[in-house]
Amino acid sequence: MKMNPRAALAIVPVALVALALTSCSADAGADAGATDGPVTITVMGIPATTKPEARQAYLDEITAFEKENPDITVTPTDEKWNAQSYVTELAGGTAPTLLWVPLTDPPGLIARKQVADITADVEALPEAGSLNQKVLDPLRGDEGQLYGLPTAEYALGLAYNRDLFTAAGLDPDQPPTTWDEVRTAAKKITDATGVPGFAEMTTNNAGGWHLTAGTYSHGGTMEVLGDDGTYTADVANDQAAAYLDTLKAMRWEDDSMGTNALLGYDDINSGFAAGNFGMIISAPDYYTNYIQQYQGDPTKFGMAAYPQAGGGTTLAGGSVAMVNAKATPAEKAAAIKWAAYHWLRPQYDPEAAATVAESNAAAGIPVGIPTIPLFDQETQDKVHAAIEPFITIDSANFEPFVTGTAGLDLEAEPPVAAQLVYGSLDPVMQAVLTREDADPMAELEKAQPTAEQAVKQAQQGQG
Amino acid sequence: MTTSNDLVVEATAAASTTGSGPHDDGRVLEPRARRRLKHPGRWRRDLSALVLLLPALLLFGVFSWWPILRSLLLSVQYNNLVDAPTWVGLDNFANVFSDPILLTAVRNTLEFGALSVLFGFPIPLFLAIMMFELRRLGGIFRVLVYIPVIIPPVVSVLLWKFFYDPDNGLFNAALGAIGLGPFPWLQSTATALPSLVLLILWAGVGSTVLLFLAALSGVSPELYEAAETDGASIWQRIWHVTLPQLRGIMLILLLLQMIGTLQIFTEPYVMTDGGPENSTVTVLLLIYRAAFINGDFGYATALSVLLAAALAILSAIYLRLTRAWSTS
Repeated sequence: MKMNPRAALAIVPVALVALALTSCSADAGADAGATDGPVTITVMGIPATTKPEARQAYLDEITAFEKENPDITVTPTDEKWNAQSYVTELAGGTAPTLLWVPLTDPPGLIARKQVADITADVEALPEAGSLNQKVLDPLRGDEGQLYGLPTAEYALGLAYNRDLFTAAGLDPDQPPTTWDEVRTAAKKITDATGVPGFAEMTTNNAGGWHLTAGTYSHGGTMEVLGDDGTYTADVANDQAAAYLDTLKAMRWEDDSMGTNALLGYDDINSGFAAGNFGMIISAPDYYTNYIQQYQGDPTKFGMAAYPQAGGGTTLAGGSVAMVNAKATPAEKAAAIKWAAYHWLRPQYDPEAAATVAESNAAAGIPVGIPTIPLFDQETQDKVHAAIEPFITIDSANFEPFVTGTAGLDLEAEPPVAAQLVYGSLDPVMQAVLTREDADPMAELEKAQPTAEQAVKQAQQGQG
Repeated sequence: MTTSNDLVVEATAAASTTGSGPHDDGRVLEPRARRRLKHPGRWRRDLSALVLLLPALLLFGVFSWWPILRSLLLSVQYNNLVDAPTWVGLDNFANVFSDPILLTAVRNTLEFGALSVLFGFPIPLFLAIMMFELRRLGGIFRVLVYIPVIIPPVVSVLLWKFFYDPDNGLFNAALGAIGLGPFPWLQSTATALPSLVLLILWAGVGSTVLLFLAALSGVSPELYEAAETDGASIWQRIWHVTLPQLRGIMLILLLLQMIGTLQIFTEPYVMTDGGPENSTVTVLLLIYRAAFINGDFGYATALSVLLAAALAILSAIYLRLTRAWSTS
């Protein structure tokens, strides 16, 4: 058989699939002008069709909102937040007006200017004055412009299996509060039940995320602010190494972390709900998935504050409403008005809070999961009293979290290129949990140049 | 109706009347011109073919060629897909080359390619020849060997993730029953990459075997009969008849396999996310992370351009080196 080299070279474009992977139509920025009169916005956040009661309640809320604001038409979209598809939708002009994103994503979106400045729109809200400024800070740009409105915030804590605690002779009402206590409890659970007493995420940037939280609990941080106002990555710090030392001892000396160390978010969360781990790091809002998605047993669920080792700090997370960068001023204003009506009103208006709680309870969505208050204490108390009759969770199982977290400082994610820094730290977690001879500080030092470069480039506007 | 073979004959006949040498350009063009004059209907037919091809060309253009051209442009721009892109020259390429993980990713990718070709090429060839020789049970083996190809890649990858589980996985359980292991599989920097290669071989062997079998069925039976008459053994038949007859398909498959394995993505993405300790991170995984996790399209496209260029150069070198061998 004769093969013509020129013809065969035509095969090479197969390789160009790599190019197509990243290619997108990118129109130049759209400078939207203001529009008067009717405005239509597309919004994320409608409950899935599998939750018909909650979905209907959401649609009824839209009807009520539109009645109060006749110029605004709210079109819900079933689309869930997906960082990968958002950029292409944005470029193609099909991204929703109002986005509902996890708190991990705003820094990157703000740096890349893919979301709109909503400072004036939020300030125009009647309830803006009573918003907790601390929760708004991580959503601000370099010059204080606001890009996001928090819809729910929480702090990381320690989820534990109450049954496994009992089986190991531990008191499920007195969960560990320090990392030393976590280590002791994990060993007891493994010795008594054979189940890994503790498990940690190590892939898809979640390893770096949890290593950062562990560092905060030891009093450290991953990025330091210099005199020139720029941040530098400082991942090779003693506090991060101390946290890794604890994990290393649990994995190799106590054998209380199992042998599978390549675990991601879903592996850990589904495994915990199935009773495969004694303790994991998680936020209280995981409980909704624990019940609804993973069919976990509510009586086994316990939630404690994030374990400490001198830092007195936990990492905060949550959800944020943000607006498509291509939205017109009128669309922006309407989107923020709706976001405040839908997400904030139940957090400051007792009547609205009770309505939402009743609807969620009817739909089987857990009601009463502790969150970080977005408004002042007085407002929070009134709202709690209003939803009390509809609370479906066993609040006693969350009590150690509520009391413990009250005494902790809340620290947001690293301010610059958090995901890239996390990505550089995944291999460190993997090294410590897969190699007995791994030296935590040496592994952190290996990650330092990657993190350093990421933080530096992000501040040069290339992140 | 004139077939393409007729055209060749016709062109050759026309050329011979001119009396020009075989490498004379004028002589080559002349018969073409004559054909146009002699067969005006052919133009209409060519036009019809072009019209029929147009939808496919448009689809390729819009969804394949145009994005590729845009990628080339993106690689020299900073573009957040919202604001007007800004020209950054070769900055994106500089970022790629200063990335501390790049070398690891390139090394891993080459290792994936080398191992996949080293084992993924001779094994299907051997299996295909054996099945071809086994004329009675060949059909059953063909079905068996092709089954893994039918399973969607992500499903098979997740299935193997379970097989490789160090605690409750099928492999350690099975090997433990005969006193072997437990092996760390994906949990060790030493074994993670070969473990993924094993999965790739399992998933891909069926398609390659079928292609070899198709090529084998095209080998003239007279050649085997002649070899048997001469008293050739089975190995002599394979060496002197089968392999020479297959060299064309072997060369093309080897090239495709090299290009394919150097673009490996799904297996490390789903099973290890490049871990442990970046031991399975590949160039395509870096591209994916840059574009879709970190939103850095400049870096992603710059690395894509470099990968495409590397594959093109590799293919050209390969074709040059094997040109003599491929010409029968």
